[in-house]
Order: sequence, then C-alpha cells, then structure tokens
Amino acid sequence: MQIRDYIIRRLLVLPVLIIGTSIIVFALTRIGGSPIGIYLSHEMNPAEVQEMKERFHLDKPVPVQYFYWIKGVTQGDLGWSGVASAPVVDVFPKKFAATMELAIAAGIVAVSLGIALGTFAGARRNKLADHIIRVVSVSGASMPLFWFAILLLIIFWVWLGWFPIGRSDPNLFEAIPHPTGFYTIDALLAGNFAAFRDAVWHLIMPAVALGYGATAIIARMMRSSLIEELQEDYVDAAKAKGLAERVVLKKHARRNALIPTVTVIGLTFGFLLQGTVVAEIIFRWPGLGRWMASAVLRGDQATIMTYVMFTSILFLIVNLVVDIIYANLDRRVVLGE
Amino acid sequence: MQKLLIITQTILLGIFLSVGAQAQAVKNPGILVHAADDEATTLDPAQVEAGEGGETVILQVYDRLLEFGPSGPQLIPGLASTVPTIANGMISEDGMTYTFKIREGVVFHDGTDLTADDVKFSWDRIVEMDLPEGQAGVIADIVTDTKVIDDYTFQVTLSGPSASFLNSTVVSMAASIVSQDAVMANGGVVAGEPNEYMAQNVAGTGPYKLKAWNRGENILLDINENYWGENAKLAARIEIGAEPDVRVLGLRAGNYDTIETDPSFVADIEGADGVTLHTGGLLLEPIHVGFNLNIPEGSLPKEDTIPTDFFHDPRIRQAFNYAFDYDAFLYGPLAGFGQFNPHYLPIGIFGHDADAPVYGAQDKAKAEALFREAGYWDKGFSVSVITEESNLFADAALVLKDSMEGMNPNFRINVLAVAEAVFDEAHAQNPIEYAMWVKNADPFADPHPYMSAYQHPDGEWGEVHGFANGYRNPEKIAELIDGASIELDVDKRAAMYSELQRLLFDDPMWLITAQEGVTMAYRSWVKGFQMNPLWPRPSLRFAYLDK
Repeated sequence: MQIRDYIIRRLLVLPVLIIGTSIIVFALTRIGGSPIGIYLSHEMNPAEVQEMKERFHLDKPVPVQYFYWIKGVTQGDLGWSGVASAPVVDVFPKKFAATMELAIAAGIVAVSLGIALGTFAGARRNKLADHIIRVVSVSGASMPLFWFAILLLIIFWVWLGWFPIGRSDPNLFEAIPHPTGFYTIDALLAGNFAAFRDAVWHLIMPAVALGYGATAIIARMMRSSLIEELQEDYVDAAKAKGLAERVVLKKHARRNALIPTVTVIGLTFGFLLQGTVVAEIIFRWPGLGRWMASAVLRGDQATIMTYVMFTSILFLIVNLVVDIIYANLDRRVVLGE
Repeated sequence: MQKLLIITQTILLGIFLSVGAQAQAVKNPGILVHAADDEATTLDPAQVEAGEGGETVILQVYDRLLEFGPSGPQLIPGLASTVPTIANGMISEDGMTYTFKIREGVVFHDGTDLTADDVKFSWDRIVEMDLPEGQAGVIADIVTDTKVIDDYTFQVTLSGPSASFLNSTVVSMAASIVSQDAVMANGGVVAGEPNEYMAQNVAGTGPYKLKAWNRGENILLDINENYWGENAKLAARIEIGAEPDVRVLGLRAGNYDTIETDPSFVADIEGADGVTLHTGGLLLEPIHVGFNLNIPEGSLPKEDTIPTDFFHDPRIRQAFNYAFDYDAFLYGPLAGFGQFNPHYLPIGIFGHDADAPVYGAQDKAKAEALFREAGYWDKGFSVSVITEESNLFADAALVLKDSMEGMNPNFRINVLAVAEAVFDEAHAQNPIEYAMWVKNADPFADPHPYMSAYQHPDGEWGEVHGFANGYRNPEKIAELIDGASIELDVDKRAAMYSELQRLLFDDPMWLITAQEGVTMAYRSWVKGFQMNPLWPRPSLRFAYLDK
C-alpha cells in the first residue's frame, strides 16, 4: 500500500478511534461516581443540589450526559473545572504550556549536565573526579525528588533568598502578552529582557530539582558508553595518527558514545513529565501536574477527562507519525498489511 | 587543610550574615503578600458561598451599605452614610422599614457613579438570580420590597421586624453593591444562571481593584486611587495554592506577609525571628459531630448496628457529649487554641451566655450511666461517621472513635474519611444516609442564622436531620428561636437566647467538639494589623495594613 493511501486510511479511522476512546474515558470516569460533588459545598440542601445537577445535566441518564459532554467538546466547551474555578478550555493551554516549559527546562539541565559529567567521568575513569561524579550520580538517582526539592526550597528560597518559587513575578508576567504560553519565549518575543530573566530565574530551582534525577541517569549512561568507546580500536588508531587526546575524545569517542545515551534521553523525558507533579506542588508551579493532582483528589471529572482525552489523542497521532517514519526508514515495512 | 577550613568558615559566615540581613529588611515593599489556603471559586457576590475563598476577595474589592468595624461587632457606615437606628428615624417604629442614605460622589471601578439605583439593582439581582451556590436567601428570606426614594436614598421593607437584619443581611458579602452598568453590559441578569463575567471580574467600589486572577497562582489587587474613603496603603497579592508547610516557610523567610494557617502550625511559627503570632478570639465556625434523627430504613452502612431511631433518645446524644475527650482534641489538633460550647450559638456572638452550662470535659461516669439507662452499655453498638479526609474534621472523628472505643470495647465507631467532593454529595442528600458526620458551620454575625439553620426543629438542617423527632420540647425551642429573631429589645432578646442555651445543653442536637481559636501569623513589619472574625476568612481587610 502506498504511504499516501495508508495515511488517508488511518486518518479516516482516527475519528472512530477518538469517539471510541471518548466513550471509554467517559464511562470509566463515571464509574467512579457522579462528578456533582466538586460543584457542591457542605451547606447545600437537597433542592440546591438538584439545581446544580440540572445546570450540569447530571440529572440525566449517563448516555445523555455523554451526549451533552461530547456536544460541548465539539463546540470547544470542555466543561467547568471545579478546581480551577474556570472553564477547562481556558485553563488547559496555560497549564500545559507551564508544565512543558518546566519539563523542557529540566531536560536541558539533565542533558547538558548529564553529558558533561558523563564525559568528564568517562575520560577520567577511576580517578578522583570519576568517584565524585559517581557519588553525585548515585545520590541523584536515589534521592527522592520531593526530599531534594524541599531541601532546595529551604536553602535557596528560605535561607538564602536567592531563588523564588512560583512561575513569575506577577507584575512582569502581566506586562507582556502570552501568545505561546511559554513565559521564556513570550518574554523574548515581547523583547522584554527583565521578564525573560524573571522567567529563567523562576525556572532554575524546579528545573534543577526535577532534572537532577535524570542528570544522574544520563551521566551514568554516558560514562559507560564512553568507556566502551575509548576501548575501541578506532580510538587507538586515531591516537596513533597523532590526533590530540581532546580531539579523539570529543570528535570521535563522545560522538559514538552519544548514540545509546540519546535513547536514554528520549526515555527520561517521560520521567521528567511524571516528576512535574511533585515539583509543581512543592515549588507552587502553576502547571498541569499540580492541577491534575488536585483534580484527581477532588473528583474534578471535567478536568480529568480533558487530560485523559488529550493524552489519548496525542498517543494516537504519535503512533501514526511513528508508523509513517518507520516505513520511511525501513522500506521492508509494509504498511497496512 | 587549614586553607579549606578558612574558606568554609568564610562561606558559612557569608550565608548567616545574608540571612541575618534579610531578616531585617522589608521584603516586597509596597505590596502586601498574603498566602491563602485555597482558590476562590467566584468573585460574584450573587454566586459566592458563605465562608468560601471568593469572599476573601469580595471583602476587599466591593463595599456594602454597612460594614463591621475593625475591632468587633459594631457597625460602621459603608456606602450608606449613616447606620440606621430607630432613634435617627431611619428604622420605622414597627421595625419593618429601613432607610439608607447613600454616600454621594462614590465612583465604581468602571468609572460610573454610585446611586440608589445600583443598590436596588444589586439586591434585586441576587434574589432574581437565586443561584443554589449563592446566598440569595440572606436577602430573599427577609426583604419583601426594595425601593429607590431618590438618587441617594434606598428603602427596604422587611417581612417582619428583625433583630438581625443589619448584622446578618446588610453586611453580608452577598449584599455587596455592584455596578448596574457593568453587569448589564456583560451578560445582564438571568434567573438561575451564573454571570460568567461577574464570576471572573469585579465591578465594585471597594478600596482595591482586581488587576489579574491567575488561576492556581495568584490574585493581584491594585489600590483604587479613587476610593471614597481612605486609600489602601499597599497593593495586595493573594498567593494561591502553597502547601501549608510552604506557607509557613515563606512567612519565616519574609516572602509572605500574612498567611492562612491553623493551630497545628503554631509550634513551627512561635518564636520565629520577625514573625508575630496573633492569637486570641475564636473562629465563628464551631466544629460539630452531627446526629441524624431522620435515618431512612436500610440506608446505613452495613457495619452499623444502631436502629434508625438511635439518636431520637436525648440520653444517647447527651452520652456522646459526655464521652468525647475534649482535651485530646483541644491539646492535640488544636494545639490548645479553642474553647467549648455545647450548641450553635458561638462564643463571641451576641446572646452567648457565658454562664450557661457546657460539656467541655470528658465525663465517662455520666456517659456510662446514660448509655446504661438507654440500654446500650452492655449490648454495645457500631456506627459510622463520615468526614472529609486529612483535616480537623477527620481528627475530631478519630478523637470520637478513641473516646468511645476506649470507654467501652462494645462500642465501635467507624470513621469514613472521604474526599471533600464525596462528603459534600453525601451530606447534601435528604435524608442523609449516614448516622453521624463531622464538619463545621458557615460563620454568621448574628445568633439568629445559627439558631434558625442549626437548632430550629423546622429550620434548614433541623428539618433534614429530623430534629422534631428528638427534642424533648420542640415547640418551646421553636418558640424561643422565632421569638428572639423579632425581639428588638436587646436585654429581652439576650434572655431568650440564654434560656435557649440551657435547654440545648440538656437536649443537645450536636456534639460541638470545639470552637477553634484564632491563630494568625504575620511578619512583624506589617503595621496596623487588625483582625475581626466577623469578616470573611482570613478576617483581614488588607486596606488597613501597611508595612
């Protein structure tokens, strides 16, 4: 089958898959009970509860509730978040951008430090620097994120006052438009250096806390790969050619050692996204993780369903894209068979 | 090695000096940073629930006709230039008509002028919208007519004389005055439907204007430079969503000026450099264990062995009140900050009689005698208590469990600690399918709303919980509550409440575990600190504060 036909077929199937997913997500969420509790207070009497149910169509049978929900979704109404006190559709993009910004910043910390430390340690195998980096790596991999985050918070926010918590200085944040939702990018687009500096300053502590664990994994991987590469014949050949040690290390061995490390880096991004929940709670970062944790604890089903649907659709699309890339990379793969 | 030690010492000294220096300097000058417990759900006075986070903001950005002054229950003029009294002729002799002279020259945040039309519009609007989550009843239950006499005179007619109208209706956050022009330009008034614009924006006259509301992050308030009264001295930022420990750390570091906390954090704050702990006074939200006297047959959890009329017997209710270990709750979760009171007329509210009897101390002998009389001491029972998880309510339920099970191994208390949403849904059923629950009440400034909602046999909760099935003399209780609500003679009214409190001690409908003490922490650089529990929590008016 031609790739074009395959893509068309998959795109035609996609809406069916999405509708099927939405039914499953809706049904599974409703199994947990009615979401009405999130809209109530202790002091509401039964008549008032009934009015609230009518407002959110929760007085109707579950299939009818699904109809109202899916109708709302097609019209861009994802429901009302009881946790955020706002329409989900208004809040979701902002929270998503905040979380992605934090995860990417943590990724940058992890990758840059991990590769640098791994290279440094690998090139100095069994020397003092290697031992120190091993201790740093092992502690990073074994230290619970919540503990390390609280430690950073106490030292750098409470004692030293060097870094703030939260995402921004509200005055600087309010002073610029937010077309992308990424504070750093929006600040650059607005040409506001003070806001950019503020964004980076707020990112440092949560990004370091979150990135430290991944740094350790990447550094250990990089070290092992580099040590293996340095034992290869081509390294000896390069040295025999008279190339400087630095050049051999950076131009040859490190480049090859990066191949398995990059695979690990890809996997650690998922680890970073998971970690945002803890980092966001401790550093009061207004992202998706903190919002979702509250939504799950408080039974905010509109928010939970949006999140699950979003990740499900993303998964479907990513799968499609991966299939296509795979077919392009390896011509032996026959699509749709 | 010596060199290394010197370097280390220098670094450490630098750190300590920098910390010391920071402790002295005022952080965030020009702005009051308040770390709140939770997010507001709405900023619309017609939609806000009593005691909810939105009231914190509404207090700062809207005005009402009258306000509570900073140091107690005395009323001071707000948008009305005078407090109505019979003596000044602004309350009619029959107590049915109230006239308010509206302050002239007041401008809303949107630039329009305040007139009596706006006042009438604001009050009528909440009644017309009548939202289930709002407080329309505050006005609708008592006001029969609102009238504009002229541009600056507003008149209200009540359904009957009321001793609580000024203290509970006029000062209520629900009775805040909104700009008619702003509302009509943004969705208007639709019966039964919230106004989305008003839920997220502000159209008031208060000392603060809403600058931004970043969900889950902060609410920014700017000083209203055109305020009719004395301008606020500091802008304000309400930080949302910090964990309780983080709030305490932030206060200690000087990053927050005031924080919302509870007595369990006092030990972490007491003695901290540059922090002042304000204690004294009590919150007006007694924490109660409820007794259900209206249990549907077959509805209780399967572990429960009590009959449906278990709590109809006043001896059982009294026995629970004697059995509870008050000291364990007071000196445990409340860290010693609280007092005891056996009924729903809180200490600090008009009519509370300090000489009326209280339980307040565990008396196992009396509890045992009452359980024996009622026939449950030997055969025992098992009963479930539903409560929210991980808060003072859950602590109170656990103290009850320890108290009862420690007293008699035949007693079994099953604590069902559930998520807030699950609890709210369970509690909102009529009839409730649990025999007992733990929560607190909404705060009020007058005894009548408490008595009417929580003690009257035909009141809002009395009816749901079946109080008429259990009071020894429900007619007498009802007569006293109804009579006190319309008694305008202060001494006679106080005497009626006093009698009521004695009756409610012998015939308790609740187990009030404690009235929680006020514990508020703020940076010592905050000047003009004033706290009044009659203001919505955290009971601060930011406009009074400076630093």
